[in-house]
Formats: sequence, C-alpha cells, structure tokens
Amino acid sequence: MAIQYWRRRDRYYRLVGSRCKDCGDEFFPPVYKCKGCGSEHVADKEMPRTGRIVTYTQLHEPLPGFEAQAPLYLAVVKLDNGARVLTQIVDSPDDSVRTGAKVEATVRRMRVDGESGQIIYGYKFVVRS
Amino acid sequence: MKSRAYVSSVGLVPVGDHWEKSIVDLAVEAARGALKGSGKRKPDQIIVGNMFSAVGAKQEQLGALVASALGLAGTPAYKVEAACSSGGTAFNVAYNLVRSGAIDSALVIGVEKMRDLEPEEISGALAMAESAEYTQFVGASFAALNGLLARYYMEQLNVTRDELSAIPVIDHANAVTAAHAQFRKAITPEVVGRSAMIADPLRLFDCAPVGDGAAAALIVNDSAASGSKRRMAEVLGGRVATNEFSIFEREDMLDFKSSREAFKGAMSQAGLVQKRLSLIEIHDAFSVVGALSLEAMGFSKRGQGSKDAKAGKYARGGELPINTFGGLKARGHPVGGTGMYQIAEAYLQLTDQAGKNQVEGAEYAATQNIGGVDTTSAVHVFGRAA
Repeated sequence: MAIQYWRRRDRYYRLVGSRCKDCGDEFFPPVYKCKGCGSEHVADKEMPRTGRIVTYTQLHEPLPGFEAQAPLYLAVVKLDNGARVLTQIVDSPDDSVRTGAKVEATVRRMRVDGESGQIIYGYKFVVRS
Repeated sequence: MKSRAYVSSVGLVPVGDHWEKSIVDLAVEAARGALKGSGKRKPDQIIVGNMFSAVGAKQEQLGALVASALGLAGTPAYKVEAACSSGGTAFNVAYNLVRSGAIDSALVIGVEKMRDLEPEEISGALAMAESAEYTQFVGASFAALNGLLARYYMEQLNVTRDELSAIPVIDHANAVTAAHAQFRKAITPEVVGRSAMIADPLRLFDCAPVGDGAAAALIVNDSAASGSKRRMAEVLGGRVATNEFSIFEREDMLDFKSSREAFKGAMSQAGLVQKRLSLIEIHDAFSVVGALSLEAMGFSKRGQGSKDAKAGKYARGGELPINTFGGLKARGHPVGGTGMYQIAEAYLQLTDQAGKNQVEGAEYAATQNIGGVDTTSAVHVFGRAA
C-alpha cells in the first residue's frame, strides 16, 4: 500500500496545498474546488511552515503502526496563511504543547509499512518558543 | 404516488461480546425478531446498514448473504455504508423508497461485528471513517479527533470536566433497566472524571464502548399496514445531511452542521416544532459529541449542552429525555447497528413497549445517528400511529 503514500509525496514532504487563482484563499490538504469562492481555478502551492496550535490532544491508544510513538501529541495547527493542518507534535516538552503555541513543520518518519518494511515519511510539527 | 410509512415491528439483539455468534448470526437474529408475525408476506427489499464487515468479518455482499440466510433469496438486497451512521442512513433509503411509492415494504437491519478484532485493529477500522491521506496518515485515531474537539469545546466555551460527564451519567442511569443494554450499571461524574485517559481530555467513560450487535425494523406503507393488528409507529420525516469531511477543514469545528440540517429537514417534513418531541435518541459516541448534537439541533444554546444535561433537562424525568435505553455510552455502539437500535427504541417508546424505560405518554420521538465527527447525519422523526 506504500504507493498510496508515495503518490502524495509533495504534500507530505513539502506541505504542498492549494491556492485559489480567483480569490487567493489557500488550503491544506489541497482542494479540487475553492472552499471560499467555489472557483475550480486552483493551483498547487507550498504552505508556510509555521503556525499556531488551535487545539491538541495526547493520544494514549495509538493506531496500528504507531505503537512505539505512544502516547503521542496530535494538534490542529492554523498555518500563517490561515490553512489548517492535522499533525503530530514531536520533540517538544510536555508543558510547551499548549493552545496558541507557535509551531514549525519538520519531516519525520511516520511509520514502517507492511512486511516489506518500507519507511514512510511525512510532516510533523515542533513547538518553537 | 406518495405513501405514509410505518415501522410495524422491530428486532433487537442485546449489545455485547457475542463470542459465539457471527455477523450473519447477529443479523438473522435481529431480522427474525422484526419479521415475527408477518406471515407469508415478504419484504420487497432488504437493506443492511453496516460499516466495516470487510475488515471485521472479512465479508462483503451482506445484503444477498443475509437475504439468503433468511430464506429470502430473490429479494433485492444490498448494504448501505456511511460509517457509524450506516444504520440510520440505510433506514433513510428504505423510508424514501416506501414513501415514494416505489416499494410497499422493506426490512432494514443494522449490524456490526467488532469483537473478532484485536483492540488496535478496532481503532484502525473505526479510523477508516476519516481521511486515509490526512488523518490516518498522521496517526490520528477516531478518539484523537474527538479529543481535539473536546479540548476546543471546553477551552472556547468554558465547559468543565464535571459538566462534560453529565451525558454519560444520564446514559448509564437509563441503561440500568434496559434489557438490551451493554452496561446496566449507574455511574457518578467522579467515575467518569477518574477513568483512564484515552485522548486527553477524553477519558474511558466519555467514550462509547466496543460491542457486537444487530437491530432490525420492518417499514411498511399504508396498504401493507392495513389489516395488521400490530402496534405501529408512523415515520413522519427523515433526512440525511453531510458536513465538510474533516473537523480541521471546518470554519467552526463546534458547529455540527450535518446534524443541524438533517434535524431541520426531518422536522419540517414531519411538520413538527421541537417542543412537541417527547424524547430523542442522540448519537453520543463521545460525551462532547452528545453535547454538540443537542446544541446543533437547537435544544441547548451554544456551550450549554453539557451544562443543561447536568441541570437535569435531559434526564428521564426532565424536559426532554435523551437516550432512554442508555444511548451509545451504555446501551452500546455496535457502529453500523447503532442507528437501527435508536429507531427500534423510538418504536418501543411510541407503542408503549418500553417497560420500565417507558416515557409516559410519549407522542413523538426523534433519532439522530452520526457518521464520523458530524460528517454524515441521519435524523428520523416518529409519531404514535393513529
């Protein structure tokens, strides 16, 4: 199933989202149609790599493949352009993971896929003081 | 030609750990309950609501499988899937077919086999309701999304831990006397607040349990209903609606738009105003989801869902009883089956067959069934048949 993730490598490694050519709204994940004005004139665009935590949780019961990372922090992050990303927060002291905290994107190992052991990489965010 | 639609009978399997029963055993048991007494008359269609039989039982083509097992091979039969709202959505398909005049009757079964899976496999199966590419990919389980929502709700609208516990407490109180409920034990807010942390701030007792189950109903039109001596409930309205797929894509995470729209649509079809409802079965897969549902459907003001529950508004003797047999938290939540449990429960209330859980003089009841985090909602409104 690794091809399912390889297909999205630009999004997972470089945070490629969408920009609406008509109204300028930006989105991540990418959209087929602008959620702001309804235009279908949308193009790929790299998102800013910094933003703030809107809400977060510490998950104690991980999904299959994520056991070694538990408990893990997940957050909704509002990027500096207004786009919202669901992401893990890593390499950050417990007391720094707070609503409003400033965070920055990084690339990390997500998990190891299937019996072939292919490593899947993607974005995670780190708290920046 | 438009027809009236009625639920003429229901069948329920108690929710729980059915180690000895397969997904087909469960579906057949519920279906037999609903078909009992219908004589030689066969349903025109069989519609099965189910979320993850492919993963939970390595089984697809459930419609034909169940039809054949019931000795009804030949009958049009198929599965409807909309995550945890599969049951309610399957019923909505049947309701629209009967109401439109396309068919005279349908057997609707909601079923889920969860317990054959290991706990982490169940988390993986439930997560399939959310985006493979942007939610499962980052390691966010379904509970994690609800944890994100719960923290946002509590921080933005000043809701306390004790208030959040109020809906699970109501569910457990109602389940004590409910024969088909999974957990028939009363709890206190302290029990909820001290239970194991799952997805901070959500604890074990904020979350609906895992269980196997099936519930079924026979839905019929005027001609199929005439001459029957059965006690019936009329289906007065029903609507399915959807929201932006993922919570993080939404302008306002706390606005449960699909529940709001589905409820508004179903009530307007029924020609009823809110205060006529005698009870409602709500989809509280997590405590916070119950609170936001009550707010979206207009029973509580924004931020007041849990607070109103704590003040007694939604208890069995309150202004609007909710989850009269225990709701998702205590009756249980066999995901694709849940919507049909709610509908069967509304039927029992409106035909005075609710036993110790009877809401006295119940005239109108509603059911609200959600898939995802308010991503799909199926709402139905029922009345006592004249």
